Formats: sequence, C-alpha cells, structure tokens
Amino acid sequence: MLRLASLADRHLLVQCATITPENYSGSVSIDAALTGTVTQVTGSGTTVAMAVARRVVDSAGHCMSSTEVVVGQLSLEVRLGETYRLDRVVAVHTSRDTDEPREMAGRQVKHAIEDVNGVIAEHREAWLTRWKASDLRIEGDAAAQRALRFAIYHLSSASNPEDERVSIGARGLSGTAYKGHVFWDTDIFLLPFFILTYPEAARALVMYRYYTLAGARAKAARLGYRGALYAWESADTGEEMTPPFVVSPDGGIVRILTGEQEQHISADVAFGVWKYWEATGDEGFLVNAGAEILIETARFWASRAELEEDGRYHIRGVIGPDEYHEKVDDNAYTNGLAQWNLEVGEEVARLVAERWPEQWRALSRRLGLEAEEPRRWLQVARELYTGFDEQTGLFEQFRGYFGLEDIDLAPFAQRTAPMDVLLGRERIQRAKIIKQPDVVMLVHLLWERLPPEVRKANFEYYEPRCGHGSSLSPAIHALVAARLGDAALAERYFREAAEIDLSDNMGNAAGGVHVGALGGLWQATVFGFAGLRFTDEGPEHRPNLPPSWRSLSMRFQWRGRWHELALPESGAERRITGG
Amino acid sequence: MSEAVILVPLDSSEQALAALPVAKVLGEIERAALRIVHVSERRPASAELLKLEATVPDGSTVDARTGEPAAEILLAAGEMKPRLIVMCTHTAAKPGKTLGSTATNVLRNAPCPVVLVPPGRDSIAWHLQHVLVPHDGTPTTSAALRPAAELAERASAELLVAHVTGIRAAPAEPGSLTTPRYVDQPQHEWPAWTREFVKRLECICPLGHLHVRMVLAHGNPAAEIVRLAKKQAADLMVLAWRGKWEAPRALTLKDILREAQCPIMVVRA
Repeated sequence: MLRLASLADRHLLVQCATITPENYSGSVSIDAALTGTVTQVTGSGTTVAMAVARRVVDSAGHCMSSTEVVVGQLSLEVRLGETYRLDRVVAVHTSRDTDEPREMAGRQVKHAIEDVNGVIAEHREAWLTRWKASDLRIEGDAAAQRALRFAIYHLSSASNPEDERVSIGARGLSGTAYKGHVFWDTDIFLLPFFILTYPEAARALVMYRYYTLAGARAKAARLGYRGALYAWESADTGEEMTPPFVVSPDGGIVRILTGEQEQHISADVAFGVWKYWEATGDEGFLVNAGAEILIETARFWASRAELEEDGRYHIRGVIGPDEYHEKVDDNAYTNGLAQWNLEVGEEVARLVAERWPEQWRALSRRLGLEAEEPRRWLQVARELYTGFDEQTGLFEQFRGYFGLEDIDLAPFAQRTAPMDVLLGRERIQRAKIIKQPDVVMLVHLLWERLPPEVRKANFEYYEPRCGHGSSLSPAIHALVAARLGDAALAERYFREAAEIDLSDNMGNAAGGVHVGALGGLWQATVFGFAGLRFTDEGPEHRPNLPPSWRSLSMRFQWRGRWHELALPESGAERRITGG
Repeated sequence: MSEAVILVPLDSSEQALAALPVAKVLGEIERAALRIVHVSERRPASAELLKLEATVPDGSTVDARTGEPAAEILLAAGEMKPRLIVMCTHTAAKPGKTLGSTATNVLRNAPCPVVLVPPGRDSIAWHLQHVLVPHDGTPTTSAALRPAAELAERASAELLVAHVTGIRAAPAEPGSLTTPRYVDQPQHEWPAWTREFVKRLECICPLGHLHVRMVLAHGNPAAEIVRLAKKQAADLMVLAWRGKWEAPRALTLKDILREAQCPIMVVRA
C-alpha cells in the first residue's frame, strides 16, 4: 500500500494498493467508496472540489478498467498468482485558487490517473530536495536522530511556500485538534527552521501575517488601541478565534482569557518578521509587507503602554507565555519583547525612509504616520518598565511574582496531569509555579542583549519553578541549558521534548503532533547543542554537544548562501556553497 | 435456552430488603426473573416467609434455605447460574466496615457480577438513568466497560466514564491511558483528550449508540469516585476488580464500597 499527499503538487493525493490472489481465480469486488467529483462550501464561503479517479493495472502494466471519473464499486476478473495494482488519485481545488474548482479538479485528476508513476516520482523528487536542504544528521544517538527527522518531516509537510494566505496550525496537518488555529508557535518555534532551511516557506508564513494585518488592526481598535494586535488564535482572516470559555472535563465552565490578554503575540509576529529579514535580506518583502507589520506592531505597543506617576511606562493586565498567571502587570516577557518591537519599529522606519524614500512616503501616508511618531517609540522603549533588578540580575516575571508562594515541585515529579489541574486554578495563581519558560524565553530570544551572568541567574532561578505544563517548555529549557553549557540538563530536556509525540503516553496522539514542540526540538539542537548564532559578520557556532553525540552535521541558508556545518569542534568546518 | 435469572439473597433483616428495588429494575432491564433466596441459620417461621412473599415483586420466587449464609447463596448461584447477584453490603450495623462477612464471601467466590446495595437506601424505588464507570486508564479496569455499556444501553441511561488523575505515576500496565501531561491550550486540549479517551474505549467496546460523558477529577481515587458519583447523581457504579481481596489489595474498591451511596456492580477483570 502506498499513500501520499504530493509534495510536488499539493492538489494531488494518491493511493496505490496491490492485490495478488493466492488461491483463487475469479471475480473480485473492490469497494473504493468513490464519489466522482464532489464540492462542498465551507463556513467561510470557500468552495472545495474533490475529483476522484481510479484504475486497475495488471502485472504487464495494462490498464484493466476505465480511467474515467467513476462512482461506486468495481468488479474485476483476476487470475491466480497475478498481481494487480489499484491506483486511486484525488485532486483538490478550491475557489481560493480558481473560479472553477470543480472543473480544475476534474481535469487534473483525469490527467494524473494516466501517469500515476510520474506523480509518485515527482513527489519523491520533491522530498529528496527537501531532505537535501533540511536534513540534520546525528551520529552516536539513534533516538535523537529519529526524533529530529520526525520533526523535520512534519515541519516540511506542513509548510506550503506557494500559499501565503495560510499558515501552520498548532497540530500541523496531522490531526484536527486545535482546529488548525495559528498561535505564536509558528512565529517563534517554527519559523527559525524554515528561515534557515526553506526560506521560501518562511516567506509564505510571514506573508500570512501580512494578509491578516486587517484582523489585527481591528482587534487593536476594538480594545481601544492603535496599530496591530494579532489574534492569539488566528485563522483565515486574522480575526480573534479564541473561544471565550471552555467546559472542562470536571464539568466546570472555565473563562478563557488568552484571546484578550495574551498580547505578546504581536511582538512575537514582529520578532519572526525581523528574523526573516535579517537572515534573507529579502528587500521586496521588507518594503512591501514586513515594514508595515513592524510599524503597526510598534504602534500598538506605544498605545498599549501607559505613562504612570513613577515616570515609567507600564503594560498592565496581560498574560505572558506562562498562562498559569492571568491579568498580570508588567510581564517581563511581554514588556521585554514590546521594548524590542518599539526599537525595531523605529529602526525599520529609518531604514526604509533612507533606502526606499519613495516607498516610504507612500507607506507612511497610507498609515498616517507622522515623522516624529517612530522617535516617540524609542522614548516609550527607554522608559518601559522591565522588572529587572540590578542587584540580583533577575527579571521579576511580573509585578508581585517574587511574593508568591514557593511550592516544591519534587513531590509531583511522577504526575500524569499538569500542575494547574492538580493544584487548581486559584492556587496556581498564588504560587510561583509557571507553565512554561517566560523570563527564560526572553533570555532565549534576546540572548545577545543580556550579559552572561544575567542569562545564567534567570535560568537558575526560573528553571526549578517551571511545571512544564506546555509542550513548548522542555525544548526551550534544553536550548538554554545547552547554551549555558549544562549539557546533561540540556540532554534530559531534549529527551523529554522528543518523547512528546514519539511516545504515545499522553492520551492525545490522535489530535495530531505538537508541531511547536517539534520546531523547538530542532532549535534546541541547532541553537543549543550546535550553538549556531548570527552576527553582523555572519554565522558562528559554539557547540556543546551531548557526550554521546559523535557528530552533528547540517546545512543552512544565510543571506542567499548555503552553509554546511559539521561538528564536533575538532573537525568543525563551515563551508559556504552555492550562491 | 434457560430463563435469565437474578439472584437476590435476603435474610430476616429490614436492611437486606434494600436490594429488592434495585433487583426489580435490573430484572426488568435484563429481562430476568428474580429468584429470592432467604437464608438463615435456623429455619424461618412460615409467617415470616409469607410476609416476605408479599413484599417481593410480582413474578419472583422465594426459596428458603437453612445453613451458613454465604455457602448457601453460592450453592444457589451454582445451581441457578444467575446473570447477577444483587444483595445488601451488610445487614448488621457495623460502622466503618466495608462489607459484611456474607457479602464479602459471596463477592470473592461468585460466578457472576455482584451488585452490592448500601442498606441506607432502604426500600425506596430505584431508577437507572446514570451509570458511572470509574476508569484508571488500565486495560484491567476496562473490564467494567462492556457490562456497564450494555446495561446503560438497555436502560437508555447515560454512561459516565470517570477518570481520576493525581501525583502518582502513570499505571505500569501496558496500553494504559493517562491524562495529557502537557495542556497547551485547555480550550482545545480537554475536548480533544475527552474525545480521544472515549474513542480509545470504543476499541474495547462499541459506545457509538450511547450517550457517553467523560468526567475528570484529581486526588484520592476512591474519595473522588465517590464524590463524582454523588455529584453526577449516579444510580449505579460499575467497578472492575482483579479478584484479590487480602490487604493491601483492592484498597480503592474497599474504600468505595464503604463510602458510596449508590449500588455498585463489581465485575471480575
């Protein structure tokens, strides 16, 4: 049995099954549940057309049945010992691509069923190209190698460089949980993989954020702010899709506040856009789309932060990445990324104005951007409260965090449920236990801005207080631990992250893979163990491989050139290939 | 084909009669005749038997036996091959005790599932609208699923599957299900997990035609199961039991039997 969704042509699905009668000659009935061509209109008004065709080929390669689009059951006369192959091809087109999806699907399937082997060969070729660009080879740790290839496979499958109006949902294309909704996972956890190994797909992902700017502007306006506040859960239009409540399995009704309060998403989107620009130098993207995202998100933060009596700007009533604590003031991650976003907004405004003055005039006119507005962003960034304590080198995760109850997580080490379930929502809000890296996430993203002792102090303070209630958590801890030089701790977290989808022990495999955790696993390897980083001079690496890893090798693209990295350091080399 | 039978052991106590309303409804659901076995260590007076015959549901028969109660009940069960034995947990007031000695002996040696009825519910009418199956995720506890589902279907009752999670490690039994350790977004994760848990149970026993509801709790399994049964107004609990009774075995079962206010059907895993 062969079954594929073509990577070469995403409109095509193929199934091939072979039959060999071992003790029988006579009639065989194949119920292939064919439906000919069907169309369905989705809730958002998109017409989806599917056309199905089939054929049966005997061992000599002769077609035994009609290749027309057909409906129903198929009867065949078969001979003992001979092998027959049933091919079935499905073509899918939507009204997003064409005015005639039904006709397009019908025409394509008719053509494809005549050359199924060709369709399969093109699919195989497309995957060879992807693996050549994206493979990451580990010697000495078969489990790590398998986990990384599993991650790369799912990440590659879920992306589509040809469609800028879709992104990657929280469970990729492998399950229906999370309804395909797009979270910060895409911008922060997935995008680095695509930026460095598949920039065309990365471009489509950042362009999705451009096409959903209208929804982000509408959300900001609805809440009384300027600029763009992206949806915590985004779908096709960019409108907020987060449900306001959920009925929990114990029957209680739980308010869901992330759609209103988890506002760091706007800075996360900006961060992804800037990283894409830094790595690719894609000027067309920056001028025509990226700058607008960076400016509108900076504008949001400038209106969101409020100047208070202490002379500092504050951002109150938010949820940080640690979703156990809701409606907090001055979340370190949110404020840290907002500060970064404001500065980058000003930088991109200057850059575009200097290098593309004509486009800048058009853009600033369209956005109603006054000349002094970007300079004001810098002032807000300078005066934004960060929660940083010079004495200890610690960021307070949010106002009042240090005064919360410290709960030892050791007695809960064997738990099978997350800490908020075990302690209850109210108790967890009063405790220091966090769901996932928050300050540590800030350390990871703004690594170069922070002194080494600050990175270390914050990791050592927050790591023991993390309950790892999110699948995104272990990989980031692996990454930061590796960069800090703690290979043993990093390896432990790496294995936890690798197990999330490969060990069916969480009761949630059917919903799909945790694609953000897979992106995190790749990042833990590349930015953590391999220690890859980028400066104005180009890529560097400071590896800290687990002892059992004899070697790590990979390719990546930086500013239009392919680089090959082979570790360990003794034989380390980084070759630049291609152009 | 022989007639389906439900065996209802009684003694001369008022408490034992609490089993009758439960047995009557189960008999209707199972289309089984009630066989009342009155057991005492001395021969009962005719007047006592006549009074009992007037109490029992129409169509049931009363058989008086003399001897050691548990031995007589098991002997009767061996002869009648009942679908169920429905009896009171204990008929003498022994506060804090899980089961009376007769019920314990019957439970440990019965050839069929035993429905144990707390004496406190007296003779008030009983209905079967909510069947609760505690499920710790192990294949062993899944043994309770089929009888519970079949009963719920025949009674047109709701099937509640209760899963209690906690700080203990996941069950070591291969194929066990747990709650997800990572709940990225509860608004998506819990509905998806609930659907998947039920779907996985459907691999053991068809549930598609039933109204099935998952309920999740955390903490001490026995206390939480008893609490859930009360909160969800469960009319019957169906528990799987591995068949070992001596301490430290069957701790959860014993605690539930001691504290639960609804009848409990115990099936061998």
